Amino acid sequence: MDDLTTYAENTWCPGCGNFGLFSAFKKAVRKLEEKGIGRDRIVVSAGIGCHGKIFDYLKLSGLYSIHGRSMATVQGMKIANPDLKVVAFAGDGDAFGEGIAHMIFAAKRNADITVIVHDNSVYGLTTGQYTPTSYKGFKGPSTPRGSIEEPLNPLALMLEAGATFVARGYPVKLEHLSDIMAQAIEHEGFSFVDVLQPCVSFYNTYQKYNKLVEIMEQMPADFDQAMEVAKRTDKLPLGIIYKTQKPPFHKELYGDWNPVMKRMSKERRREKISELLQAK
Amino acid sequence: MKKDVFTFIVGGKAGEGVRKAGSVAASLFAGMKRQIFNMDDYQSLIKGGHNFSVISTATREIKSHYNKADLVVALDKKSYQLHKDDLTGEGILVYNSDTLGDAEGVGVALTEEAQKYPNPNLRLGVGAVAAMAAAIGCDKECLKEAIQREYPRDIENNIAYAMTIYDLLYSQIGAKFKLEEGDKERPIISGNEAIALGAAAGGLDVYYAYPMTPSSTVLHTLASNSKDISLPTVHPENEIGVANMAIGSIFAGARTMVGSSGGGFALMEEAFSLAGMVEAPLLCYLGSRPGPSTGVPTYTSQGDLNFAIYQGHGEFPRIVASPGSMEEAFYLAAEMLDMVWRFQTPGILLTEKHLAESRMTVDIDINKAKLPEPLLHKTGEYKRYLDTDNGVSPLLFPPSNELIKWDSYEHDESGITTEDPETITRMQDKRSRKTKAIVEHLKSVHTVNVFGDKGPVIFTYGSTTLSVLEALRIGNIEATVVQPVYLEPLPFWELEKYKGNQVIVVEQSCTGQFASLLKEKIGIESKAIIKKYDGRPFDPQELALKIKGVA
Repeated sequence: MDDLTTYAENTWCPGCGNFGLFSAFKKAVRKLEEKGIGRDRIVVSAGIGCHGKIFDYLKLSGLYSIHGRSMATVQGMKIANPDLKVVAFAGDGDAFGEGIAHMIFAAKRNADITVIVHDNSVYGLTTGQYTPTSYKGFKGPSTPRGSIEEPLNPLALMLEAGATFVARGYPVKLEHLSDIMAQAIEHEGFSFVDVLQPCVSFYNTYQKYNKLVEIMEQMPADFDQAMEVAKRTDKLPLGIIYKTQKPPFHKELYGDWNPVMKRMSKERRREKISELLQAK
Repeated sequence: MKKDVFTFIVGGKAGEGVRKAGSVAASLFAGMKRQIFNMDDYQSLIKGGHNFSVISTATREIKSHYNKADLVVALDKKSYQLHKDDLTGEGILVYNSDTLGDAEGVGVALTEEAQKYPNPNLRLGVGAVAAMAAAIGCDKECLKEAIQREYPRDIENNIAYAMTIYDLLYSQIGAKFKLEEGDKERPIISGNEAIALGAAAGGLDVYYAYPMTPSSTVLHTLASNSKDISLPTVHPENEIGVANMAIGSIFAGARTMVGSSGGGFALMEEAFSLAGMVEAPLLCYLGSRPGPSTGVPTYTSQGDLNFAIYQGHGEFPRIVASPGSMEEAFYLAAEMLDMVWRFQTPGILLTEKHLAESRMTVDIDINKAKLPEPLLHKTGEYKRYLDTDNGVSPLLFPPSNELIKWDSYEHDESGITTEDPETITRMQDKRSRKTKAIVEHLKSVHTVNVFGDKGPVIFTYGSTTLSVLEALRIGNIEATVVQPVYLEPLPFWELEKYKGNQVIVVEQSCTGQFASLLKEKIGIESKAIIKKYDGRPFDPQELALKIKGVA
């Protein structure tokens, strides 16, 4: 047990892709610490599912949210105290099923949050049902004759929604994944990391992904090229696919200020309210 | 002629400036140091239909509008038909002669005169204000000032139009009603404005809401003053986003409120339960309208009482309170913010459209607003869910070198997930003990309003209290009115003395939820329940007759 791991018993299946993701994230935290971003300032949230257990294992402050809402939870944290770096862990069911509206709007408003999706294309904790990113024909207990829906493409969707940082990683490429995570957290604005995460119990994709992934040598030059990369199926390119700068939501909302650290004094607030009342 | 209450109704189509005319009339009365009550009856549409605004005014505190008016101004035919019988004995009806042939009352060519200017339909409300000013003998200078102040766009044309209407009517209705000056000029605010400003005075840091009538004007009030009072407002993708963002902000230390009406609040229910589990002091404003479902969006109801009290899956303490006036709404918003922070559990500030959107003159002492006094962690190792005697664990906010874990799963004291039976029991007990602590604290707080001490006992709550009190006054009825401000926990220590009385319950619900609550929680039997559930608030005179009928 290291200093970023709690006493909680780890119950992920042996060989689960979440182990690599967890290690990569801890490495990312250490990289950020070297750059002066202390772990006290990094707060996290998670949804519900196997991915969410990372909340219990990770020795960082935060709020273990509910299914599909961790992206909303961390947006609220950031709005209240923009000095915090906020990270939402989510499963593909959280991010693209239950909570898809929060994802699209977080990207649309360029909320300064990082969303790390443990994208395994299967509901593990509820025993193997298809998810929004499962291929058409996926057989699970809720679709015994095969899913009859086309999958969503998370990268293309987030690009289209306005994400200012879009990346894909793979836990087997641990060092690379941790680099992406650190850059995503450092990015000012909405950063999205889609992590290809094999589920050894219900949808083991190690062999498939080992053949398909390839680390990109350089970032696509523009949005259109990024979209082309996002839509590739012959290969699954890894790395930062798109990155741009736009003012984040909280700065558009109230500029360079902090609601909890720079609260208006009670007297000043009440003076202002008295004025408003008198004008009524 | 001297009158206790003077009532003015202006009716017309949406888009004709009806509500604005009502609000200008109200401020004219307030300028005469009188007190007012203003109720807007409007439909869920933007153009057409039928809207009306009623303003009742007196030189004493007035707690309701009256359905019978001394002056009705009907801007269109429908308003004439609907309100021609809503006159007091000496009442006057002014109608728009361009929309009607022969009619009873005083006709004036409101439309024809308005057509001499651009946007004639938007101007009709100005005509109504001019008619009102003529009827109460307000001079032209006073009318001109009011128009300048209240209609900043296109002032010249508005004044010219108002003067024409005033002159056309003066010989027939001029100074028919003499209104005395009152004691002092007071601000006029709606219940929603009171809640917005009260919460802000109580230290609110952030407000989240998705628009839904009748709660939206809390959002509008705070949003329009956001910069001035340093209080960011956020209107996210939906109510689920609203409630979950709010809980995130609370985790980071911000005093946060959310607002909605029934349907939107139903979407927040999942997060309401989350707040119960993570022990987040989430203050929710619930403005009711008739349901179920979409119901009747712009009208009033008290049908969400059970919905508020039993909100959320699982078992956890919550605090529900409902103000009985605009002034009380102001103080209660601040007090509820303190309550939820003190006990780290969700709370609901419950109102109904009648309180939320009606407006009245108020006397508010801003320094009486409470500020949250949460229990904060001082030094040493931190445990988010420290098991304490009263169930309340100290709060600590990031950034901190201590580990701060809030958990939606059942958890141990440190906030790490557990399925251990002993820990589950212990944590359920810890949260449940907070209910006892809330009750103990509420015993030191003013939780029940009692008006009068003789005659039959009448139980009511929320804005219906206003209707009941005005009805007793106008009907010369002696009674004891009991209004619990807190509805959960229900203040049994204050209410048990009414057990054995055959009480009358007045509420705006079809099934009598409030009467059932009194019976179930306290054992109070009602001999009569006066109910109204047509979306309209009670008229004091009609209610007085009903009370006399059962008393």
